Amino acid sequence: MSHTMDKSSALGQGVLVFIYLAVLTALEFLVAVSFAAVSILVVVALVKAGLVAYYYMHIYRLNEEHEGGRDSYEYKTGTNRLGLWLFLLSDSFVFGGLLVTRINLLGLTRPGLNQMLGLGVTSVLLLSSFFMNRGETSMANGDRKGFLVNTILTFFLGLGFLIGVVAVEWPMAAHEGLTASSGAMGAVFYMMTGMHAFHVFTGLILLLLVWNKGRKGLYTAEQHWGVEAAAVYWHFVDLVWIFFYPALYLIGKLV
Amino acid sequence: MKRFISTALVRGLFWQFIGTLAGAGLVTGIRAAMGLSITDQFFFTEPAWVLGGFFGVLFFLAGNGSVSDWFKWARGIETHDHHADAPGWEKYLNVSLDHKVIGVQYTITALALIGIGGTFALIFRTELAQSGLQYLTTTFKVFGQTGPQFYNTLMSLHGMIMIVSILLGIAGIINYVVPLLLGAQDMAFPRLNAFSYWIAVPAAVLLLMSMVLGGFDTGWTGYPPLSARAPVGVQMFFMGVFTAGWSSILGALNLIATVLRMRSKGMTAFRLPIFVWAAIATSIIALTATQLIGLSFQLVMFQRLFGMGFFDPAKGGNPILFQHLFWFYSHPAVYVFVLPGLGVISELLPVFVRKPLFGYKFVAMSSLGIALVGFLVWAHHMFTSGMNEYLRVPFMYSTMLVAVPTGVKFFSWVATLWKGKIITPTPMLFVLGGIVVFLLGGLSGPPNATVSTDLHLQDTYWIVGHFHDTIFGGFVFPFFAAIYYWFPKATGRRMNETLGKIHFWMMTPSFFVLTLFMMRVGLLGMRRRIADYDAALGFDTYHLIMTIAGFLIAISVCIFLYNFFTSIRKGEKAEGNLWNSRSPEWQVPSPMPAHNYDQPFEVVGEPYDYGLEGSKYVEFAKNK
Repeated sequence: MSHTMDKSSALGQGVLVFIYLAVLTALEFLVAVSFAAVSILVVVALVKAGLVAYYYMHIYRLNEEHEGGRDSYEYKTGTNRLGLWLFLLSDSFVFGGLLVTRINLLGLTRPGLNQMLGLGVTSVLLLSSFFMNRGETSMANGDRKGFLVNTILTFFLGLGFLIGVVAVEWPMAAHEGLTASSGAMGAVFYMMTGMHAFHVFTGLILLLLVWNKGRKGLYTAEQHWGVEAAAVYWHFVDLVWIFFYPALYLIGKLV
Repeated sequence: MKRFISTALVRGLFWQFIGTLAGAGLVTGIRAAMGLSITDQFFFTEPAWVLGGFFGVLFFLAGNGSVSDWFKWARGIETHDHHADAPGWEKYLNVSLDHKVIGVQYTITALALIGIGGTFALIFRTELAQSGLQYLTTTFKVFGQTGPQFYNTLMSLHGMIMIVSILLGIAGIINYVVPLLLGAQDMAFPRLNAFSYWIAVPAAVLLLMSMVLGGFDTGWTGYPPLSARAPVGVQMFFMGVFTAGWSSILGALNLIATVLRMRSKGMTAFRLPIFVWAAIATSIIALTATQLIGLSFQLVMFQRLFGMGFFDPAKGGNPILFQHLFWFYSHPAVYVFVLPGLGVISELLPVFVRKPLFGYKFVAMSSLGIALVGFLVWAHHMFTSGMNEYLRVPFMYSTMLVAVPTGVKFFSWVATLWKGKIITPTPMLFVLGGIVVFLLGGLSGPPNATVSTDLHLQDTYWIVGHFHDTIFGGFVFPFFAAIYYWFPKATGRRMNETLGKIHFWMMTPSFFVLTLFMMRVGLLGMRRRIADYDAALGFDTYHLIMTIAGFLIAISVCIFLYNFFTSIRKGEKAEGNLWNSRSPEWQVPSPMPAHNYDQPFEVVGEPYDYGLEGSKYVEFAKNK
């Protein structure tokens, strides 16, 4: 890996980006509860997405040149990376389509959801992204133990998010009368959170797989494409929630 | 027979059957435990059929072995990169990682689906030959449908089966040809490539299942509210399209990665074969926009299953939203269909004219231009839908804009033909036929793009004629040209020229008669998608002529199929550079060796400098 930073500066960057993201999320929340300014929320979400895409997903690696030949691990990893990003581009059209559906059907209204729970699961997912980044940089530095600990932490935080949405938020919303068949509002809410939860679920499976392979010692500091792929996918799931959270919880008026 | 039964195809279909039963049985069991009804008109209930269809696809893929390498990787077991397939026909029915085998698999499957979709068309075309209902009558019963209902099912399935066959057809040509043109050993992701093909097979089965599960009467577009009320068959239709969509998305992903990462030395952007440019343009659309048709169909499925009111006005939903999501893919989709075909025309034309391709860079950019403008035109399908009126004019202009890059292509073709030494073997006939037919399709387009005229033309047979012209010109003719042209590369034998010429001279005039009369009756007021029309409109003779023309096309395609399958074994040997082409794949003997090129080549000149003395496109390395 030509871009591997030494351990302490990687930790410093990870912490710093996490603080930026946390502050922006808090700002988002405060803007939404104090005055409804959609444009500010959109800008904040875009800034957060940019931070995640650059510092956590390392989008710039798509531009890396490789010294090895076509059959080298580096060149193949470059091809795999391109393939993964193309897949994420394709996938983002699903989420984009869901956002369009939400805007078209709900406009400037939103469902009455538990704000504290929403902020809670969002924070949990954000925190999981931080640990995912720690896990990946640990592996890039050859620290297998650090990788295993951080990855399993990510897994449990991700699981916490999934339970928070599907097992807590859904029944609470249904109890308030917002069911899948109650109307367009419920349909949009369950479809958006459900599609996202499905991606979280697949991400959790990937995390378990790379954790298991890491446990067997199949990754090295130089060769760990599987870890990078799972990490980028996990951050992508986080990136989607950066848009879905304000779209469902913050934008618009209650009806 | 035993060898046939143990192939991946048969195993997959067997497991799909088991999976369907397992999924349907699971839901039925849960429903029984919950005290809900467990049987319906087609034995299982609708949710049971949906989970059954879904499980069927998963079981197919797991059962036929196309995902087994990934399962091994997930457990940390390494697999070999390249297997050479055993010689013989079995490799075409088994999971192969060789792009050439996968290309042939795609092409044969596409031909099979063209046969099925074409048969459907002949059945309802025959019904239309005369006004009144002749044999698809209200007393006619099949698969729980009356004659007119069955007409609707066939008409709807004809559309989608043909669309899937086109997607597989272009994937076949792209898969076979692009790595050879690039000098690559294979596609970037061989396993993903095999997966993309094999997921299309259960998708086709799902589409056909829709016919026996009550069918559906929505047309291929599946608009709610009609599709929200149609029989359970529409769910199978939605799932089939959704599954086939993944084939298209993953194939496109693979193609883009291959072109960006696997080119041989010296093959810069503007020395890429023009067909590769077209394949890139088509893949950009397929990679991204396909998700939107998948999403729109998924939303209707959930509306039916869970009562989610996305498109139900009574619940605050909006049916127009479906049309926006649907057409965001389904309009660019027609550029997915035609761009590779137009690429084939530009690729083959210089070979048979012995002259450089006129305006290479502009042709390359025009493919990208069509793809990008194609994203901005979808609502021209919705002029009469009741969407906001101010949207009509911008969409009218963006639609007209498509004519500019398309015009660039026509200009290039005509200028390439100009003063060329034109020879007309069968592939060239189909290239020329494609140009003329696509011109007719293009010229009949602006009246539909213009709001004032489209308000009258919407939903008439004029649109049917226009659409068939664009797709025959942009896909069917070039597809046949590509098969006649690259057949010797795949088999080492060429197809029979006489039969090829009969095929062309029988199909082309019949096709003109068919579509011109379609447009004619459309202008006179014939509505599309209906089983019957009033005799007083005076269309009977026109419809009879159209039906005869349709059968002539079918006979010509049968001649083609006969030619295709007999030439594999008995065709005239053609192992050298049959067409005298500059392209790298023709510089090595046919059929193509298993690992493509023994020696790598370097691109040293322009690809289409035919007739220029001393010019060279590729140079092979001298020693190993």
